[in-house]
Amino acid sequence: MYSVVILAGGTGSRMHREVPKQFLALAGKPMILHTLERLERIDRVGEVVVACHSQYKDLLKMHIAAYMLKKPYTIVDGGETRQQSAYLGVSAAKYEDIIIHEAARPFVTTGEFQALMDCDAPSATYGLDIPFTVSVQKGGMIAGILERDSLVNIQLPQKLKRTPLLAAYEKAAKDGLVFTEDTSLLYHYTNAPIRVLPGTPNNIKVTDSVDLIAGEAIYREYIVGRD
Amino acid sequence: MRTCIITGAGSGIGRAAAIAVAAAGEYEYLALIGRSMDKLEETKSRMQTASQVELFAFDLADLEAIPALVKDIYEKTGEITCLLNIAGYTDPQPLLTTSLESMRLTYETNVFAPFMLIRECARYMRLNRDGAKILNVASTAGITPRPGWLSYASSKAAVVSMSETLAEELAEYGIRVYCISPGRCATALRRKLAPNEDQSKIMQPEDVGRIICTLVSRSEHCLDGQNIIVRKKL
Repeated sequence: MYSVVILAGGTGSRMHREVPKQFLALAGKPMILHTLERLERIDRVGEVVVACHSQYKDLLKMHIAAYMLKKPYTIVDGGETRQQSAYLGVSAAKYEDIIIHEAARPFVTTGEFQALMDCDAPSATYGLDIPFTVSVQKGGMIAGILERDSLVNIQLPQKLKRTPLLAAYEKAAKDGLVFTEDTSLLYHYTNAPIRVLPGTPNNIKVTDSVDLIAGEAIYREYIVGRD
Repeated sequence: MRTCIITGAGSGIGRAAAIAVAAAGEYEYLALIGRSMDKLEETKSRMQTASQVELFAFDLADLEAIPALVKDIYEKTGEITCLLNIAGYTDPQPLLTTSLESMRLTYETNVFAPFMLIRECARYMRLNRDGAKILNVASTAGITPRPGWLSYASSKAAVVSMSETLAEELAEYGIRVYCISPGRCATALRRKLAPNEDQSKIMQPEDVGRIICTLVSRSEHCLDGQNIIVRKKL
């Protein structure tokens, strides 16, 4: 069985909204519900742990009740950083097999969760080729060239083992290192092989207001499949 | 157990639809809802079906009791597969004599009760592996302005909009929402709207019942999310 840790600790500051983006309506319902409803349909999900700002815990509980979500839920306080939120969520999880996902990626499918679980590697992430040119800049000037073919755009969800992951979080806290996602952290401390599964451009991370507009189209065309 | 809930099953289009759906045999359990148990018994007596048929004498104006009614049916059957919102009410009046009470009663029966039934059924329909169907009966009155039909016509316009909105909102769960707008049909409700009409020459409830039965059959998957006009050319 898997513990699925959902990162939902944001406060909405980047999008300049009063409500954090994971609770903004997208295709008629709070963004986070898109993911939580899909997890309901996956038998191997033994529990869901949500790392959420304390101010929004009651709102989240209300949505879980209204949508009649039956999986066992644990809601923990989010941390000051994404990494701390992930650590708190993984700490609260009870299974060794962990899936980490972000509430701001509402277009993940049940098939993507299941493919991650089916993958024979103990650690895995989704990744996309980078179709655009990436360079290094310093002081407003190009300062180097990156080899696009060797880069990957990391997407969540990711599959990890709880014990080595917790140890890596603790080392990073001691070293004062902050990683933007958890496979990078695990790789840094363990060199563990991490499989990259092919992601989809539809699994966007809603970051800016324009993503909400694009998200409506993705929902209609990709999730529902209406013409 | 594949379950179909039918409101307004004691007469008119509701009765005709219940008989047609029962004969088609796609649903193993039929919950017939109507205010009069005698009329529901009459509907049941006309059915030819191997399906289980249960009668619920229930006034849809009792909106607060709807969640318990749906829960009761779900707990008996383990699945809500189809909901037919057919019950209707009309009290045609010119604007200046339309009371708030009449307006309220019309909306309670035609809009709020279907809304409550849809909301409560959708809670369970979302859990189905093979989707579900909801069919709402609106009216051509909802799209054609007629003096003196304010409460009825505007309530049916609401049904059309509610259906189209929910078709989008519920599509992700495999719940198809249909809306039909019958024209002139020989029912007691129509008699209140057009007392002097010769009902033998207009569309019969059985005509509409057969169409409803087709729409909620397993094979139909192209006509949801739009207002379907059902009208007999005279």
